[in-house]
Amino acid sequence: MPLVWPALTVLVYVCSKRLYARTRKLYLTPLVVTPAVVISALLLSGSSYDAFDRGAHWIGEMIGPATISLAVTLHKHLHVLKKHARAIAAGVTAGGLAAVAVSAGLARLFGLAAPIMDSLAPKSATTPVALSVSGALGGVPTITAVATLATGLTGMIVGPLLVRWMRIRSSVGRGILLGTAAHAAGIAKAFEYGADAGACAGIAMVCTAFVTLFAAAPVMSLFQ
Amino acid sequence: MKTNQIVKIALQVGFFTAWSRASEMAAEALRSPIPGSILGLLALFALLELKIVKLSWIELGADWLVAQMLLFFVPATVGIVRYKPLIVQSGAEILATILLSTAIVMSVAGLAGERAGKARRGKAAS
Repeated sequence: MPLVWPALTVLVYVCSKRLYARTRKLYLTPLVVTPAVVISALLLSGSSYDAFDRGAHWIGEMIGPATISLAVTLHKHLHVLKKHARAIAAGVTAGGLAAVAVSAGLARLFGLAAPIMDSLAPKSATTPVALSVSGALGGVPTITAVATLATGLTGMIVGPLLVRWMRIRSSVGRGILLGTAAHAAGIAKAFEYGADAGACAGIAMVCTAFVTLFAAAPVMSLFQ
Repeated sequence: MKTNQIVKIALQVGFFTAWSRASEMAAEALRSPIPGSILGLLALFALLELKIVKLSWIELGADWLVAQMLLFFVPATVGIVRYKPLIVQSGAEILATILLSTAIVMSVAGLAGERAGKARRGKAAS
């Protein structure tokens, strides 16, 4: 019955998306509800992750096409990028460098082993980039995958609070804040502030990917 | 949603999937340090800017993919069940690192972006 798991995943996702649209309660976001229900179902039925993965791996593989579709977002909102080039360059460069340095610094502070530190360093970048940077640094890509996801989730929850507390009023500032730190999950959140914030988040995510690709190794060499 | 719109979305999503496969293969063949999906994004962006690929050909599919982005992250999240020993051993430290660093990165990126944006607007107004 390889279709049970993807069917359950999509069904729970669609329901929780409707529920979230109606209530706007953060703990009801599909990124929390769907894995929680699926994991519970896996554990309760005594099924293995492999059984789930055999049926549902293609859902995860759609991250590739979805990343590519951001080319359309970039193309449609190029005027936003041109208009706010300065703000985006400043926010993404500062945020992208801070992401690697702060993650590694905190990991060391908390006494985590070096491979875990390397796995956590690129976690603000989009998943495919984070995975390849992690591998190049000597991290464990599977840990990076989960950490990157947890970062996206954290960003969706903490981002709106920080926007309120720090009084980030411009849609550019909001988009940069979410897209730089929390990749695609941040973009999804930014679109709730409007198309401009979403576009800025998309641009910020792509630029952060490049900052991480080129700056992760030099920044990490400071932690040797 | 009308049937022909669903068919259009399905075909366009198929296009993005094929494009994604092709860019993964190209990245592998070129031994590119940049992942295939980012290469594919840049290549498609260039073709859109050059008007070789028309926005109307792929816009519906792209909107759908972006709207369902959270669904595609679910399998990797479920993958956390494989890491029980690591979670038991250093889960709290890893979680603390993720929470704190994400909040700090957001503050840095958001404030830097907002400041730089304001400085620009201030100059334009004067």
